[in-house]
Amino acid sequence: MDLLQGTLDVLVLRALAPGSTHGYAVSRWIHERTDGVLDIEDAPLYKALHRLERGGYVSAEWGLSDNNRRARYYSLTSGGRRQLKAEESAWRQYAAAVFKVLEPA
Amino acid sequence: MTPRRRRFFRLPWRSKKQIRADVDEELGFHLDMRIDALVSQGEPCDRARAQALREFGDLDDARRYIGAVDRDIEAAQRRSEIMFDLWHDIGYAIRKLRAAPGFALAAIITLALGIGANTAIFSVVNGVLLEPLPFPQPERLVRVVYTQQGRPDVSTPMDLLDNRTRATKFAGFAVVEGATANLVRDNNDAERVQAVRVSANWFSVLRVKPLVGRFFADDEDGANAPNVVVLSEALWRRDFSGDTSVVGKVVRINSAPFTVIGVASSAQRYPLTAELWMPKRITPREFNDGSRGARWLGLLARVKDDATVAEANREVRQISEAMEKQFPEVLRERRARVSTVQEYLTGDMQKPLFIMLGAVALVLLIACANVANLLLVRSTAREGEMAVRTALGAGRGRLIRQLLTESVLLSIAGAAAGLLVAKFGMHEMLSRAPANLPLVGTASIDGRTLALTALVALVTGIVFGILPAMQVGKDDLATALRSGARGARSRPAAHRAKQAIVVAEVALAVTLLTGAGLLLHSFAKLLSVDTGFRPDGVLSMKVVLPGRTYDSTATRNFIRAVEERAKALPGAKDVALANFIPLDGSSYGFAFTIRGRPPVRPSDEPSTEVRQVSSGFFATLGMPVLRGRSVAETDQPGTTKVLVINQSLAKKYFPGGDPVGQWLSLGWGEDTTGEARQIVGVVGDVRGSALADAPEPTVYVPIMQTPYSSLSILVRTNTSPATLATPLRSIIRDLDREVPVYSVQTMEERVAGSVGRQRFYATLIAIFAAVALVLSAVGLYGVIAYAVSQRTHELGVRVALGASGDRITRMVVGEGLKLTATGAVIGIAGSMLAGRLISTLLFGVTTADPVTLVGVIGVLTLVAMLASWLPARRAASIDPLVAIRGD
Repeated sequence: MDLLQGTLDVLVLRALAPGSTHGYAVSRWIHERTDGVLDIEDAPLYKALHRLERGGYVSAEWGLSDNNRRARYYSLTSGGRRQLKAEESAWRQYAAAVFKVLEPA
Repeated sequence: MTPRRRRFFRLPWRSKKQIRADVDEELGFHLDMRIDALVSQGEPCDRARAQALREFGDLDDARRYIGAVDRDIEAAQRRSEIMFDLWHDIGYAIRKLRAAPGFALAAIITLALGIGANTAIFSVVNGVLLEPLPFPQPERLVRVVYTQQGRPDVSTPMDLLDNRTRATKFAGFAVVEGATANLVRDNNDAERVQAVRVSANWFSVLRVKPLVGRFFADDEDGANAPNVVVLSEALWRRDFSGDTSVVGKVVRINSAPFTVIGVASSAQRYPLTAELWMPKRITPREFNDGSRGARWLGLLARVKDDATVAEANREVRQISEAMEKQFPEVLRERRARVSTVQEYLTGDMQKPLFIMLGAVALVLLIACANVANLLLVRSTAREGEMAVRTALGAGRGRLIRQLLTESVLLSIAGAAAGLLVAKFGMHEMLSRAPANLPLVGTASIDGRTLALTALVALVTGIVFGILPAMQVGKDDLATALRSGARGARSRPAAHRAKQAIVVAEVALAVTLLTGAGLLLHSFAKLLSVDTGFRPDGVLSMKVVLPGRTYDSTATRNFIRAVEERAKALPGAKDVALANFIPLDGSSYGFAFTIRGRPPVRPSDEPSTEVRQVSSGFFATLGMPVLRGRSVAETDQPGTTKVLVINQSLAKKYFPGGDPVGQWLSLGWGEDTTGEARQIVGVVGDVRGSALADAPEPTVYVPIMQTPYSSLSILVRTNTSPATLATPLRSIIRDLDREVPVYSVQTMEERVAGSVGRQRFYATLIAIFAAVALVLSAVGLYGVIAYAVSQRTHELGVRVALGASGDRITRMVVGEGLKLTATGAVIGIAGSMLAGRLISTLLFGVTTADPVTLVGVIGVLTLVAMLASWLPARRAASIDPLVAIRGD
């Protein structure tokens, strides 16, 4: 299934909500949470991560992964947290509205 | 591990290459992790790799995109770090400056003077020379100006005709003629206003729209067109309360009815001084090759949009050359060129204004030098602080940046205070500017001036800050730290820098002082010029009799009546009427011939000024009659036509012989008969047009024999001349209500007014030079005082060893004078160069004027002695015990 425009950013922000992690973990998390329904390539995901960094929603630092390799860790900034909240509620309203229309009268 | 959220320590800035490597590392990590995961699920290695790549998508595109985004991030980070440093530095600088308020105040006041003077002068330059005139395409609006045999000349109606018929590069030519106007509206008294007559296309050449009503129609300068007039906005507001129903109203100008058709706005008017515009009607007699010699018009033109001003210039020149071929005698060596209206108005102000700019730039440099010196003293005291910061890891570059921030901050504060200085200074300056400096009144502190002030502030801060800042970190750290707590160990290099700065300051001040001295000395020379008349006790005023109601008999009656009644006034000694007042006359140069001499070519004819005067003229002005007699009351119409010549004419055309009794014929407008007049006397020369202009050959004709409508009235009094103004005015009003009195001034006021420009320039330069002198004296004082405080120990030892107080004083003052002398020598060399720049503004003095040089050196020596005597006195009173123990 194709992704709606702008959806990826909110997914990435949500993936980072529990705590800081690297791009690979974000990718796996989204894959698992969506049961592979959303067919998301990794390239746009990384683009989104860096774009969000430029926008000040996430910050990045180099750190060590579990297997002791250098990896880039991302975490939400306070701005990112606010953005996530805003987008989340927008999505919920949007989805609720669509469901209302689709439900049999 | 938990990655850090904030960077407490700064990472070095990443290069493009490093960013690329980081991106590759990040993506490489991802792919490796994915492949490992797939392999651990049992996929063979190569298939796992292929799947990982497939899942990833367009790898190259991602790398490029991410690299670009990261470079943005990096750049933003750099900017924010620099801003952070800057804010930090500014905060630090403010704390440091507040901790030393005396230093900060001294620096800010010094800079405020320097920058304020620059802002004020620049705003005048901006208003006069840079701001374009408020007409559409002002760069294409030109005056066509003529010279004949190198001397400035005016135009004839034929010039208008020649250019209109031959020129192709112009959109239009218009003419202007100065006029006199006695304006009467309703039943009010007559009012004298500045008027011009212009061709009907005047306003369309200017391309301006009327504020109210309309401008002239194309045929309104025709011979039979009705009388119409355009008012200036100022006149309209003053006399007609800005009432738009003025259009269609009839006013009387020179006793003739004129219908008001429109109002020209103050913002877009030309000539700037005009209050009325009337159509100039050119008679067929004037449009005639025979009147090519009678010149009095000005020519305005607009260059076509598809031609350049240079092409237009070439064209009028070619036309003037062609006309000379046709009329080789009367137009001999007569050349035309175009000059933009702005140049035409302000051309002779350019040089003085640039000299003023140069002068204030020197003042600013001196101010910079002073502040640099203050900073140097301060930086010696701050060596300890700098050493500590270096030890804590601040690099030299970082410290220099910090110090420059401090100095730029100082100069910005100085500039802010300077704007106040400029605003006040401009108010004072403009209120004292002579009225004949066009456009000066338009000067104001506008956006361009503010921008320049900001730029000056920035550059100034760097200029005076760089040398002291560079002194930072020159010592080795350990020494600096050890002596740090005590601060202040004078390094010889720093002391030499301070001395060099003082020498430079003195040199600049000497240059400026010399310039000021030269201008002041020439001004004094100008004032001491022998005017040829005695201005004290003489009152003067002007009237113009309307030609429509005054024929020559009526004019004679008017003159006689004024003479009789004015003489009867208490306090009046002598009364004169003339068409001329010394220092106020314009020069024309009418050709004449001397009876009995062989004829010469017309262009080689002798020429003379012609003035019409009444019998009391020479007595009223105190002009000596050298030979023969004065103009007498008996010189009336019907008696022998006579004239009195001045000494210059006698010397030039009758060298060695006696001119009295000879006969002259004047080729002169009022006396076209060419009838000869007999010379009856010779009088002394007077300065006719300006103090600086040598007297021209002049003849004085009895006004009763050739009455003239434009009259000056002069009265010599026993009392204060100004007290006669009111009674004289009422005499004129009783004689004719439609004749307004104007230009009422004592002769002493006229003398002062005639040198208004020179006085203005000399005053300005003198003020700047005084500021420069004070600043450099303060600088010298600072350096000597500091040197004394550094040498307390040494001086104490000297006193202990028996050196007398006098000896110490002499030593310290000697050091100050040595620096001053060095600066003076350099400065005098500099002023020789600067003198050349102002040589055209000088009168009666050369650029190597000994009086000025001696004066400058004298003043400088006095000031330098005072500036170094104050610290020397302190040095001489050092208590050796305290000094030696205190070290």
